[in-house]
Amino acid sequence: MMAETATQSGRPVILSLAGLSKSFGDMRAVKPVTLDIPEGEFLTIVGPSGSGKSTLVRLLAGLEAPTEGRLKLRGEDITSIPANRRPTAMVFQSLALFDHRSVGQNIEFAMKMKGVAPDARKTRALELLRLVRLPESYYDRPVTQCSGGEKQRVALARAFASDPEILFFDEPLSAIDYRLRKTLEVELKELHQRTGRTFVYITHSLEEAMVMSDRIAIMQAGELVQIGTPAEIYGRPANRFVASFMGEVNILAVEGAAFPDIGRPIENPGGAYAVLRPEDLQPGTGDIRAEFKVTQRLLLGSRTHLHLESATGAAFVSEIGGTVEAFAVGTTHEFGFARDSVVWVDT
Amino acid sequence: MTQGHRLAALRTLWIVAILAFLYIPIISVVLASLANTRYMRFPHRIWTVDAYRDALGSFTTWQLHTISLSIALSVVLISTLLGTLGAVAFARYDWRGRGWFQRLLVLPIFFPQPVLGLALLLSFTAIGISPSWKTAVVAHLVWIVPIVTLVISVRFFGYDVAQEEAAYDLGASNLQVFREVTMPQIWPGVFSGILFGFLLSWSNLPLSVFTSGPDTPLPVWLFTRTATNYSPLVPSVAVIGTVVSAMIVIGAALLLWASSRLRSPAR
Repeated sequence: MMAETATQSGRPVILSLAGLSKSFGDMRAVKPVTLDIPEGEFLTIVGPSGSGKSTLVRLLAGLEAPTEGRLKLRGEDITSIPANRRPTAMVFQSLALFDHRSVGQNIEFAMKMKGVAPDARKTRALELLRLVRLPESYYDRPVTQCSGGEKQRVALARAFASDPEILFFDEPLSAIDYRLRKTLEVELKELHQRTGRTFVYITHSLEEAMVMSDRIAIMQAGELVQIGTPAEIYGRPANRFVASFMGEVNILAVEGAAFPDIGRPIENPGGAYAVLRPEDLQPGTGDIRAEFKVTQRLLLGSRTHLHLESATGAAFVSEIGGTVEAFAVGTTHEFGFARDSVVWVDT
Repeated sequence: MTQGHRLAALRTLWIVAILAFLYIPIISVVLASLANTRYMRFPHRIWTVDAYRDALGSFTTWQLHTISLSIALSVVLISTLLGTLGAVAFARYDWRGRGWFQRLLVLPIFFPQPVLGLALLLSFTAIGISPSWKTAVVAHLVWIVPIVTLVISVRFFGYDVAQEEAAYDLGASNLQVFREVTMPQIWPGVFSGILFGFLLSWSNLPLSVFTSGPDTPLPVWLFTRTATNYSPLVPSVAVIGTVVSAMIVIGAALLLWASSRLRSPAR
């Protein structure tokens, strides 16, 4: 079922997971995952810490052996091939640069292991420095003298130097400050488009995933709970977990034909929970309206978040565009939403 | 202002006092070796290097150094090997019983050395091994291996081990990972381990006294000759022994410096 979208893209499958799982003792870190990754895709696996996403990517890179299941690269079984003989490369969370070596030596490492001649190595290393937008003068610099962003680029160049079929990223941007992270996200996306390589990226930030990916896979407690394009994930979350992972959302428990949270009846197409985005809950409009008391007003520049309380005491969030100074804390207003803006989920 | 001056003067005085406390005893050994009398009295009536002439011409001096050097080099070789492997078990991998291993490993350091020496001598004779410089090596190892292991372990805690995985992921074999990442990272620790092992063995008295048998290492000879048959020969041999060990340590440091200089520009 999950492989469907991959074949829809029309590109050949490069990496194929069949029931791949990993247990540590009694703990099932990754429950059987079946997934096809088409050539040239930017796939992001998103999940909270402990969801098994890091273990999954380590299985794919060959740094961890699966308990069960098979892994195929272009149709060839590589399940038992160790990481050092797989044509893939990983950018680690800590980057794991060789801190006793220069930038050039780091980038050339994979080529040195393959026995490439020093001159050819240097030519390629300088090429890769340009690819990741670092000046060639960095070649002789010790990596310890590079800034955080420069280290990211060196790590990227080092992974590219092995000429990998697939690049894996294990949350490399998680320790970087917000603005630099945004820049690097865009650069990474551009790099993906320019090189045409297959990227498998791990992150705990769905926002990061939305920016960069062709497809997003959501992981929860060792299980892939949903996979699809960013628009599909955003528009039709598979469950409350996925919906709430997207950011602040209102989740309303539905009993029969009414939201007990606001005391209004609604046509229930058959879900147990209604997901209502903050931007869909607006003052004075909508098919379904109720009175809410403002408990908090957060000005976020381009938008304003209002924390609301319904008559029944349930907490809601509404997002209004711009910096809005109305809706003072403690005042009561009518807010509403369109019936078809509600996303229904079962679990 | 004047108070600041006084404080500065006091601080200088304090530093001079500490340095004097540390170095005057060492200087006094040199001074004692320049006398021609067995009575320790200062200043000497006659200043002479006769003791050094005797020491350098005597077979005993050479024998003492050969024995001490044999022990120290054996200890360095074995303790560095065991210490490196031990450090891997101590610091690198988490395994069942690691906590106990860590505690048991450092325990010998807390034992008084004479007690350890006696215990080892009793064990050797109990199983029918007669003491010699080789049993002294074993005794030194019991004391020195834990120290070398700890010294090397510190380095294992000091670098990101994901570097090894990264090297492996980039196509390095296990041996290449060790040569390209692990060894360069732990090398400063291994080198300190070698120096510590050498110096601790070279200067060890309490373990050697019990376990070296008829083979007399330098410190044991110094101790017994000071106690029973003192002459300026004793401090002169002590000075020679110090110079020899200093030369070995400085030589090793120079070798290290030269090898790193050779490696880095060629890359």
